[in-house]
Amino acid sequence: MMKLKRILVAARGNGADEEAVKLACDLAKKSKAGIYVVYIIEVKRSLPLDAVIESEIQKAEEVLTRAEDIAAERDYEVETDLIQAREAGSAIVDEAMERDVDLILMGLTYKTRFGVFDLGRAVPHVLKEAPCRVLLCRDPVS
Amino acid sequence: MRNNWQPKPGDKFVRRPRVKAHPLRRVLGIPGLYSVGYGNVGSSIYYALGIIALVAMGATPIALAVAGVFFVFVTLTYAEGTAMLPEAGGSSSFARHGFGDWAGFISGWALMLSYVVTIAISAFVIPAYLGYFWAPLKESAVMSTAVSMGIIFFLMIINVIGVRETSFVNVLAAVMDLLVQILIIALGFLLVFNLDVLVHNITFYWPSWENLILGIALAAIAYTGVETMSQMAEETKQPAKRVPRALILMIITVLILFGGVSTVALSAMTPQELATNWATDPVAGIAHSISLAITPEEMAAGLSSEKEAVIVLTWIFTELRNLLPGLVAVLAASILLLATNAGLMGISRLAFSLGRHQLIPSALSRVHHRFKTPYVSIILFAAVALVILVPGLFAPGVFIELGALYVFGSLLAFMFAHASILSLRIKRPDLPRPFKLGWNIKFRQWELPITAILGLVGTAAIWLVVIATQPYGRWVGLGWMAIGLGVYFLFRWRKRLPLSQMAGKPARPNSVGT
Repeated sequence: MMKLKRILVAARGNGADEEAVKLACDLAKKSKAGIYVVYIIEVKRSLPLDAVIESEIQKAEEVLTRAEDIAAERDYEVETDLIQAREAGSAIVDEAMERDVDLILMGLTYKTRFGVFDLGRAVPHVLKEAPCRVLLCRDPVS
Repeated sequence: MRNNWQPKPGDKFVRRPRVKAHPLRRVLGIPGLYSVGYGNVGSSIYYALGIIALVAMGATPIALAVAGVFFVFVTLTYAEGTAMLPEAGGSSSFARHGFGDWAGFISGWALMLSYVVTIAISAFVIPAYLGYFWAPLKESAVMSTAVSMGIIFFLMIINVIGVRETSFVNVLAAVMDLLVQILIIALGFLLVFNLDVLVHNITFYWPSWENLILGIALAAIAYTGVETMSQMAEETKQPAKRVPRALILMIITVLILFGGVSTVALSAMTPQELATNWATDPVAGIAHSISLAITPEEMAAGLSSEKEAVIVLTWIFTELRNLLPGLVAVLAASILLLATNAGLMGISRLAFSLGRHQLIPSALSRVHHRFKTPYVSIILFAAVALVILVPGLFAPGVFIELGALYVFGSLLAFMFAHASILSLRIKRPDLPRPFKLGWNIKFRQWELPITAILGLVGTAAIWLVVIATQPYGRWVGLGWMAIGLGVYFLFRWRKRLPLSQMAGKPARPNSVGT
C-alpha cells in the first residue's frame, strides 16, 4: 500500500473530475495526506500568458468550487489553485515537482478522435515526465 | 523524485490567487529564449539581403554592418529596458513608463505596422523560394502575390482556431535557421569565396550616397526580432538576468552569420544579379551559385587518391550539388512560414497588451468564446497585411516599398525605446536596473548611456531619410499613424481617460515574479 503525504489532482473541467476528487479523498484519508486540486487554463500563443480570459476563469472557479464541495461532503479539506500555462501537461508536472507530491491523479472521460480512443496531449506528457506515481481514473464508456 | 527533469522552452506559468497566493514560477531559460528570438531574427535574412541589394548594390555588406551597429545599440537599450520592466509590450511598455500613455500608444502602433509588414514580406517571398520547384511561383507577379495572400489567409484561420504551436516548433525554427545559414557560409567560403571578386563587386557597384543611406535604413529589416525577445520576458526565468544575456548572444550570432551570408553572396554573384534575378530569394541565389561551383570529380580526386573513396566522394558531392538548391528552397520556405505565423501571433499579443493598458479599444482584445483566441485582432491585422500586398498583383516593385514601410514603423518604435531609456534615467533614477548600460555620460546629476543617445540620433536620422525619399513609406506610414492617433484620441475621450498620463495600472490578478 503506497504511503501518501501529498496528492495532486489535475482537474480538467470534465465529468471525471468528481470521481477523481472522491478517489483522492479516499486514498488520502488513511495517511491524512494533503490534497491539492489544480485547474490549468491553457493560453494560446496568440495571447500573453497572463491574459485575463473571463469565461475560462469563471469555468475554472466553478470546477474548483465543486471540488471543494465534494471534498467537504467526505469531511476532507482540499487546497485549490488556478494556473495559466501554455501547455497543461507541463504545468501539471511542474506543479508536482514544486509541491513534491507522491501521486498525481487525473480523471478523464472516454473520448475518441477519428474513431480511436484519445488520451489528449496532457495525459501522455504527464505519464512520461511525472516524477511520481500517476493514477488515471477513466469514466465508464457511456 | 526525478532530479533531471528539465522544463521545455516556453514552459512558464501564471498563478491566479484563489485560496492563497503562491509565488510564480518561470521556466524559460537562455536557450529557450534565444531559440524563440533567433527563430524570428534569423528568418529576416531570407528577404532582407535582396531588399538591401536592390538599393545598396555593392555596399550591401557595409549597409548591413552599419545597421548592425545601430542594431547593437537597440539591443542594448532593450536589454536595460526589459530587465527593468519585464512585462509584455517591449518598446511600447518602455515608452508608457518613460513618457506616458500617449507615447506607449505611438510606439505600440508603430510596432504594429512593422509587425504587419513583416507578416506581408515574409509571406511575399515564400513563393519565390518555392519557385525552384515551379517557376511561375517566382516569375508571375499575380501568381506569387496570390499565393502569398493565400498563405496569410490560411495562417489567419489557423490562429483564429488556435491550432497549437508547441515550444518545440520555436526550437526547430531556430535550429533550422542556424543550420541553413552555417551550411551556406561554410560551403560558400570553401567553394565560391574570392577576396578579389568580393572587393571588385563592392567597389564597382558602389551606390550613390542617397542609396547608401537608404540601404542602411532598409538593412534595419534584417534585424527584426529584438521586440519578440523583449515580449518573452514575462515567460522567462529570472528575466532581469537572462533576457540581456540572451539578447547579447543573439547580437553576436546575428552579426557573424549575417556578415558571413552577405560576404558569400557578393562573392557568389554580382550585386546586379542579386538585385535582379534573386531579389526575392537571395539565399536561393547563393545556394544556386554554390551548387554550380561544386565539381564532384575534381573535389573527390582532391580529397583522396583511393579509387573506392573517390567513387563514394563523387557520389556525395553530386548529390549535394543536386539537392542543395531544393533543400535551401524548402527550408527557407518553412522558416519563413514559421516567421509569418510568429508575426501574426506577435501582433495579436501586442494588441492584447495595448488593450490591457487601455491604449486601444478593448474590442481588439476580444477573445473568441470557443477558440479562446483574440480573433478580432488576428483577423483585422491579417486583413491589413493582405491589403498591403494587393499592389504586388500589379507591380513587382512592392517589395522595396514594403521594406521602406517596415523601416518607418520599426525605427519609430526604436526611437521611442532609446528615448524612454534616457527619460527613465532622468525621471526614475531610483528604479532597479538589473542590467544597467555602461558608457554613460554625466549630465547634471544623471547618467545617460551613450549607446542610447547615439542610437536615438542615428535611428531618427535614418527615419527622416526614409520619410524624405520614399513616398510610399511616407504616406502609408503617416496615414497609418494618423488613423491610429484618431482611434486613440476618440477612445480615450470616450472613456474619459487622460490623453498623456498613464491611465493607471491594469487589473491584473497576480503580478508575475520569480
